Amino acid sequence: MRRIFAQSRKELTQIVRDWRTLTLALVLPLALLLLVSSALSLTVTDLPIIVQDLDDSPASRDFIDAFRASITFHVVAWPVNKQPQQALVSNQARAVLIIPDHFGRDMARGLDAPVQLLIDASDANTAKLIAGYSNRIARAFHKTAGSSQADPVQAEIRFWYNPGRSSKKFLAPGIFVLALSMFPCLLASLAMAKEGEQKTILQVYVSSITAHEFLLGKVLAFMVVAVAEFLLMLIPMFTYFGLGIAGDPTPFIVATVLYAFCVASFGIMVGAAIPNQAAAIQAVSFGGFLLVFLLSGLMFPIANIPAGIRWISFFVWGRYYIDIVRDAMLQGGGWPATWYKVAMVGLIGGIFYAIAWLTMRRMQLET
Amino acid sequence: MAPIFNYRVGALLGKEFGQIRRDRRLALVLILPPTLQLLLLGFALSATVTNIHLGAVDDSRTDESRQLVATLSESKSFRLVRYYVSIDRLGDAISRGEVDAGVVIPYDYDKDLQRGRTTTVQFLLNAINANTAAISQGYAEGVIESYNAGLRAGGLHASFEPIGAQDYSHQGQAQLHPAYLYNPGLKDSWFIVTGVLGMLLILNSCLVASAAMVKEREAGTMEQLLMSPAANSEIIIAKVVPLFVLLFMTAILGAAVMKLAFGVPFHGKLLLVLSAAALCILSGISIGTVNSTFAKSAGQAQLMAFFINPPLASTSGALSPVEAMPKWLQAFTVVNPIHHFAVIARGSMLKGSGFADLWPNFLGLLAITLVLGSVSVWRFRKQLS
Repeated sequence: MRRIFAQSRKELTQIVRDWRTLTLALVLPLALLLLVSSALSLTVTDLPIIVQDLDDSPASRDFIDAFRASITFHVVAWPVNKQPQQALVSNQARAVLIIPDHFGRDMARGLDAPVQLLIDASDANTAKLIAGYSNRIARAFHKTAGSSQADPVQAEIRFWYNPGRSSKKFLAPGIFVLALSMFPCLLASLAMAKEGEQKTILQVYVSSITAHEFLLGKVLAFMVVAVAEFLLMLIPMFTYFGLGIAGDPTPFIVATVLYAFCVASFGIMVGAAIPNQAAAIQAVSFGGFLLVFLLSGLMFPIANIPAGIRWISFFVWGRYYIDIVRDAMLQGGGWPATWYKVAMVGLIGGIFYAIAWLTMRRMQLET
Repeated sequence: MAPIFNYRVGALLGKEFGQIRRDRRLALVLILPPTLQLLLLGFALSATVTNIHLGAVDDSRTDESRQLVATLSESKSFRLVRYYVSIDRLGDAISRGEVDAGVVIPYDYDKDLQRGRTTTVQFLLNAINANTAAISQGYAEGVIESYNAGLRAGGLHASFEPIGAQDYSHQGQAQLHPAYLYNPGLKDSWFIVTGVLGMLLILNSCLVASAAMVKEREAGTMEQLLMSPAANSEIIIAKVVPLFVLLFMTAILGAAVMKLAFGVPFHGKLLLVLSAAALCILSGISIGTVNSTFAKSAGQAQLMAFFINPPLASTSGALSPVEAMPKWLQAFTVVNPIHHFAVIARGSMLKGSGFADLWPNFLGLLAITLVLGSVSVWRFRKQLS
C-alpha cells in the first residue's frame, strides 16, 4: 500500500513540475468545455432571410411582419431587380420568402394563397428547422388574424428536462465527458510511454515493486488528476451552464470514480503497449477523442449511426458516462435508470486495467 | 536575387522526397487516416431525427384516438413502442429513456371531436437534446396538421362538422410551400463532409509539418543543413514542398471519397475547391511549423497541437452552423481557415457558386495563409540563428 502511494506521489510531482502538462491537465479541459459547448450548438437563431413581396398589400405586409418579429429570422434587404437565389448562392441569406401577386386578394376571398419558401438546404438540419419555424410563424399569423378555422385537434407540446431547449445544457455534459476522456488518459499514456522510452521502466523491473503496485500507483495518480479536472469543470457546469444535480447524486459520484479509473487505466494501457510518446498520443487521440466524440451520442443521437459501425459504440466507455452525467444533471432518473451504465463503465475500466497488467507482467521476471 | 528554384533547392528536395520514400509509414499515415476519418465522420455524424420512440396514454380508448396514434406511428418520424396506463408511468418511461416522446389523449377526445369542439392532445418530448426536440416538435405539429386537414375534409370522419362553421366569414390561409434547394434529399452528410475535409487538412498538415520539423532538430541534423550553402528560405521551401504534395494528394483523395461514398454533387468548379484546399494546407503547415519551434521533442509538438486543433475545429462551423454560435464566437470565424474552406467547399460543390460569390472567403483564406506563413518563416529563422 505504501509503495502504491509513493508511486502516485512521484507521478503527481512530475506533473506539477512541467508547465505544459499542468496546463494540459487543468486549464485546457476548462477552456474546451466553455468554448466547444457554446460552439457546437445546432439550434440556430437570427437567420438572415430575404423577402420578395410581389403583392405589396396590407395582408402581405402583415405576413412579413410576423416573420420580422420572430427571433429566429431577421429580414435582410434585397434589391428587387436581382434574382433571389443569388442571395443563397452568395451566402447572404439562408432562405427566401416569395409572396406572389394577388396574395391579399386571395386571402380576402377565402382562398388559400400559396407562398413559396426557398431554403438553402446545404445544411440539412438547419433547413428542417427553418421549415418548422416558418410553419409555426404562419400558424401563429393565422391565429392572430382570426382567419383560422378552429382546429379539431390541438397539439400541446411540453419539453421535459430542458424546457428552454437550451443546446448548452445538452452539449455541456457531453463536452465535460469528452474533456475527462481525453486529458487524464493523454497524460497517463505519456507518463507510461516515457518510462518505456527513457528505459526507466527497467528500474521498475529490478525493484521489488510488483506489477499491481506499480500500475495501481500510476492509475491512482491520474485518477487524482481526473477528479481534480472533474471538480474544476463542475464550477462552470453549475454556474455558466446553469445545470444542477437532479435527483439522487450517488450513481453520478460512483460512476465518476469508476470513470476516472477507466480513463486512467486506458492511458496506462496505451502507454504500456506503445512505448513511444508520439505514437501513444496518436492512439489516445483516436480512442479518447475520436471514438468518444463520434460514437457516444455526444452531439448526434447514437441511433443515427449506420448499423454497420453502431455496434462499436457498445464498447465506447464515454457513451455510458455521458448518459449518466445527463441523467444526473437533467433527468434525475437515479439508480433504476443508470445502474447498468455505471456497471459498464466499471467493467470496461477493469478490462483496460487487466490488459495493462498483462503487458506489464509479461515483461517482468517471475519472482 | 537568385531564382527560387535553383539547383540547391533541387538537391534539398531530392533529399526530402528520398526520406519520405524510405519512410513508408509517413505516407501511409498521411493518406489512410484522413480518408477513414472522413468516411467515419460523414457516416456517423447525422442529426436526422427518425424513429422517435413514442409512448402513448390513451384515456379515450376509442376508434378515433387509436386512429390518431396510428397516424402518428405511420409517419416515419415516430414509432409506437407501447401504451401506458397512466401519465405517471409514461413519465417514468421517458425518464428511463425507454421512450423519447409521449402522447396523452384525453378521455373526452372522441366526444369533443363529434361535437365539433376543439380537443387538446398533449405531447411530452424529452428535450435534453435541444435539436432533436425542436425537430420532433415540427414533426408532431406537421402530423397533427395533416390529421386536422383530413378531419376537416371529412375524409376520415364524416361525423365531424364544426358547429357554426358557416357563421364566421371564411378567410383564406397563407400556405407555405418550402422548397429545399441544393440538397433536396436533405442529406446531413453533405454538410458534414464538406466541413470535415477542411478540418482534416488543417489537422494533418499541422501534425505532419511539426513532426517533420522537429525530427531534423531531434536527430541533430539541423546544423548540417545550416552549414550547407543553401539559404534559410531554400531550406524551408525544400521542407514544405514534399509535404504539400503529399497533403494535396490527401485533398484529392478526400474529394474522391465525397463524390463516390457520399454522392456529393460537384456543381461548381473543382479548381476552386482544390485551390482553397491548397491554401488550407499551407496555413496548416505554417501552424505546424510555428508549433514545432516551441517544442523540444516530437511528443511535445504533438501535445501542443492539442492546444490548437480542437478549439480551432470546433469553432469553425465545420460540424455545426455558424449562426448557432454565440455572437462573440462568430466574430472569430473570420480568422479561422477551416471556416473559409467549409464555406467555399459548400458553396462550390453544393450550390455551384463561382469565384464572384466566394471571393471574400478566398481573400480571408489567403490573408490567413500569408500571415501564418510569414510568422512561421520568422519563427523558423529565429530558431536557426
